[in-house]
Amino acid sequence: MSKQTSSPSRGLRDRVIPLIEISVLAAALVTPLLMVKSPELITLATNILILSLLAISFDLCWGYSGIMSFGQALFFGVAGYVVALVGRDLGFSHAWSTLPLAMAVGLLLSFLFAAFLLLGRRAPTVIFVALGTLTGAYAAERLVSGWQYVGAGNGLSSVKLLQIGSWELVEGPGFYYLVLALLITSYGASRYLVRSQFGLVLAGMRQNEERLAFFGYRIQVFKALIFSFAGLLAGLGGALFAYHQGFIGPGSLGPGLSTTAVLYALFGGSGTLIGAVIGTALIETISYVLADQDAIKQYWPVILGFVLLAVVVFKPTGVVGFFVSRRERIGSYGGRDDGKRRR
Amino acid sequence: MLEIVRFAFDILAFTAVMVLIVLGLGVIASMMGIFNFAHGELVLLGAYTVFIAHDAGLGIWWGILLAPVVVGLFGVLLERTIIRRFYASPVIAMLGTYAIGLIIREIVRGLLGGQYRSVPEPWDGSWSAIGLNFSIWRTFIIATTVLVIAGSWLFLTRTSFGLRIRGSLENPMLARACGISTHLLYTATFAFGAALAGLAGALIVPLYQLSADMGLRFLVQGFLSVMLGGVGTFEGPVLGAAAIGALASGLPWVVPPVLADPLVFVIALVIVKLRPQGFIAGARK
Amino acid sequence: MSQSKIDSPTVPGAKRSRRGFLFGASALAAAGWTAGGPGSWFLPAAWGQGKKAIKMGIATDITGPIAPSGNSNWQVAQLAVEQINATGGIAGRPVELFLEDTASDPKAAVANVRKLIQRDQVDVVLGGITSAMRQAIKDPIVNRGKTLYIYPQLYEGQECTKHLFNTGPTPAQQCDELIPYLIKTVGKKRFALPSANYVWPQLLNKYARKVIQANGGEVIFEEYYPLDQPEYSSTINKIRDGKVDCVFSTVIPPGLQPFTKQLYESGFQQRGGIVSCVYFDENSLNYVAPRELEGVFSCLDFFHTVDDPYSKELLAAYAKKFPDTKYLFTAGSASTGMYRGIRLYEAAVNTTKGDVAREAVSAALDKAKIEKGPGGGAEMVPGKMHAKMNMYVAQCRKGTTDALRWDIISKYPMVDPKEC
Repeated sequence: MSKQTSSPSRGLRDRVIPLIEISVLAAALVTPLLMVKSPELITLATNILILSLLAISFDLCWGYSGIMSFGQALFFGVAGYVVALVGRDLGFSHAWSTLPLAMAVGLLLSFLFAAFLLLGRRAPTVIFVALGTLTGAYAAERLVSGWQYVGAGNGLSSVKLLQIGSWELVEGPGFYYLVLALLITSYGASRYLVRSQFGLVLAGMRQNEERLAFFGYRIQVFKALIFSFAGLLAGLGGALFAYHQGFIGPGSLGPGLSTTAVLYALFGGSGTLIGAVIGTALIETISYVLADQDAIKQYWPVILGFVLLAVVVFKPTGVVGFFVSRRERIGSYGGRDDGKRRR
Repeated sequence: MLEIVRFAFDILAFTAVMVLIVLGLGVIASMMGIFNFAHGELVLLGAYTVFIAHDAGLGIWWGILLAPVVVGLFGVLLERTIIRRFYASPVIAMLGTYAIGLIIREIVRGLLGGQYRSVPEPWDGSWSAIGLNFSIWRTFIIATTVLVIAGSWLFLTRTSFGLRIRGSLENPMLARACGISTHLLYTATFAFGAALAGLAGALIVPLYQLSADMGLRFLVQGFLSVMLGGVGTFEGPVLGAAAIGALASGLPWVVPPVLADPLVFVIALVIVKLRPQGFIAGARK
Repeated sequence: MSQSKIDSPTVPGAKRSRRGFLFGASALAAAGWTAGGPGSWFLPAAWGQGKKAIKMGIATDITGPIAPSGNSNWQVAQLAVEQINATGGIAGRPVELFLEDTASDPKAAVANVRKLIQRDQVDVVLGGITSAMRQAIKDPIVNRGKTLYIYPQLYEGQECTKHLFNTGPTPAQQCDELIPYLIKTVGKKRFALPSANYVWPQLLNKYARKVIQANGGEVIFEEYYPLDQPEYSSTINKIRDGKVDCVFSTVIPPGLQPFTKQLYESGFQQRGGIVSCVYFDENSLNYVAPRELEGVFSCLDFFHTVDDPYSKELLAAYAKKFPDTKYLFTAGSASTGMYRGIRLYEAAVNTTKGDVAREAVSAALDKAKIEKGPGGGAEMVPGKMHAKMNMYVAQCRKGTTDALRWDIISKYPMVDPKEC
């Protein structure tokens, strides 16, 4: 928000997102202290933080650059597989190099995807990009399910524990704070990115792609860059996921998890970053609580379906949309009239 | 020679299944610009109708006749309540229809108790010629597919209703100005596409087991078929489906089936990338 | 039997604590999921003055595609524990059951199984149906969770993890008697091995190939398909061209029905070919068309037609406890392994005199033995993590009415698992 240009009359009312961010951060910091007696809740909380990375990754694509990715889990899952394989075949799991490796894998893979789907002589249609990511994730899931070297349908289990120095991390408060630190860093980086000069272009694209293109911006290149960065975050999440679960399977890179990520971000409120985190936390927590209710449990996916439907039909701004004004949500860089123009 | 006849029949049979499934998807995508993620579940509903009819002792033929009607009516309901909100944004339509599909699928899963169910063909067994056996039901599906394609094509090109549909597709504003109710046409088109899906489900369920995921299996292949053939025409998706069907059933003859499966997607996606307008360039991009 | 599909969003976090179960069971029954009264297995309040209950965790697929097997496992577990508690528990200690739904999804399962370990702190976990599920949950249970794990399903073998006991049939148990029978008695020599592409068929086929060749048979081809492949024309063609006379199939649903249908329609059976499928049990009667099922050979540790008084008693008790249930007590769904596992655990803890420490129970379980069970008794092979059990070769035939049933052809007592 540092570059806010005008309107001194805008008070706190216009700056709800920082407040939400601070509250979420505070909650995340103290959570484990409240759960000392119940390790399974810390496990749940860690899981939420990891999945938040995936949700943020999706939000960067859709909320900030209009790429509907039905395959975000692909980068998540492949990175998870890579660290699991490195652990299995090389016996190596030191965080200082496997986590960057996972990020590199996510980055490279998503860059290749972006290059294929987005770049080229003709600008692709939104539909092509959406179906392309869907197909990629679907084909990858089916390929991995049949590939013996990576455990086929069984996936890879007993993933080597993540190491920092001589310290082996099992699930628990230590793992939680490590993930939290990485999440805060990733969040900060994403936040900086979408609010920098680069983010200004993204905001402009959201308002009017043609106009930006007319100004001479190569919008497909911008989209490809943000898609690659999102892939990097997904890769980091995937590696943490594999280490934390001790398991990675074909289900972790298919459209199933990808659409779950879509749901997290849209439910929380896309285009805000923090909405993705809130959405993940809410959905995962509700699902955890409802799981005790046997009558409902079986129909939990149905409920999720209704939630998604309700969000896209009635509340496209998600939960965060109840608190955050439209101008702030979009980022208020694009000009005065953006409220009137729909994408 | 025998070999070739055999090969041709098998590929034709699967291609017919593929075309049947894609037809409804293609009609909705081409005419309305909506990629219906719930299409697999409409197929499932058709199959489920047959199962219910069979279970209730009504007979499978009744089920097969009822399925397009039931699913078509369901399509009317869907279009009236939800789908019409999505015309402005095709991407939001994907999410919305995905949610609808999820809801239907999981409800059916609950109703089936997660089990696989088998539904017998009304005509089982096989007929033989030149020393080869051909499944009667697959032959029936091939014949029906040809009839349905011919019927739909005549309907869209030779009737005034079809003319109005094509007119609204070319230029909705002008169509409205001419006094055509595009709203009504969209409802009718969606219902027609849904009914085709229902018919497809009803016809293929004897070939495959009834389970909640049966329609989903064909969804991504269906999308690729539509893209491959070209959105905006009637013939495009049919051709695309034929290509995908032939590819999916033909590839396992030359490469291991496990590899053939993802390969189909990769090949199709690359072709779409190289020729985004599809086999037949249509009116709508 | 892992399923590959575009999935719904996962259903993470499905837990059912003991309290949750009491509230939930009636709702389940109302929803048609489980028959049988809730709480009937539950501890009588007056039980066990001062005796601490043994906590037994069941982690199985209550929802999702594998739910039909998982629910029968859960019901069998309730039956077994009820029987144990009715006769005074294990070494005087009652058994308390904890259920976690693994939801047919290894991703969700890991989190849920951890609840059994971390929150409920169970003494033993039984469950998992598919190999994928076992692979996913064994690490949280055995390594990170330091808990004993019993895996009940027939499977591909080669699971020799310490503290992980397998109570279902292995490839050796399923092939060693059946294949010589098919070759020597039925007289079929040219085998085709069409299979779903995952680890069980792969390792089973590897073993089967050895047995086939050792008995003078020949493998014409061995081929793997995606689990939901809808089209098998190239395979059927190879079967015809190769003059295959025995199809030893490990194709599973949802790819199963198109396969059996296309095989039947090609006239394979009419030409005298036979089909064998070693996971087919009573449930198969519901999802395979009768004309395609008739004549199929299977080899399992239990069939409803087994001539064994205790097995009949068990089936009667199961039918009484769960009248009208749609989840059958069968071998192919891991139910027999579940029952056997609980009883073997009982035998082991009786030996340790109620001590449930993992090392002690593991040592006792290694030599545990039961006299009675579904299909007969069983005993662990010391040091081998697997159990010897009776195996039965059966063929699906028409009974006196037109209904199909599994006719036992021969019984093989205490077949060696030949693992580890």
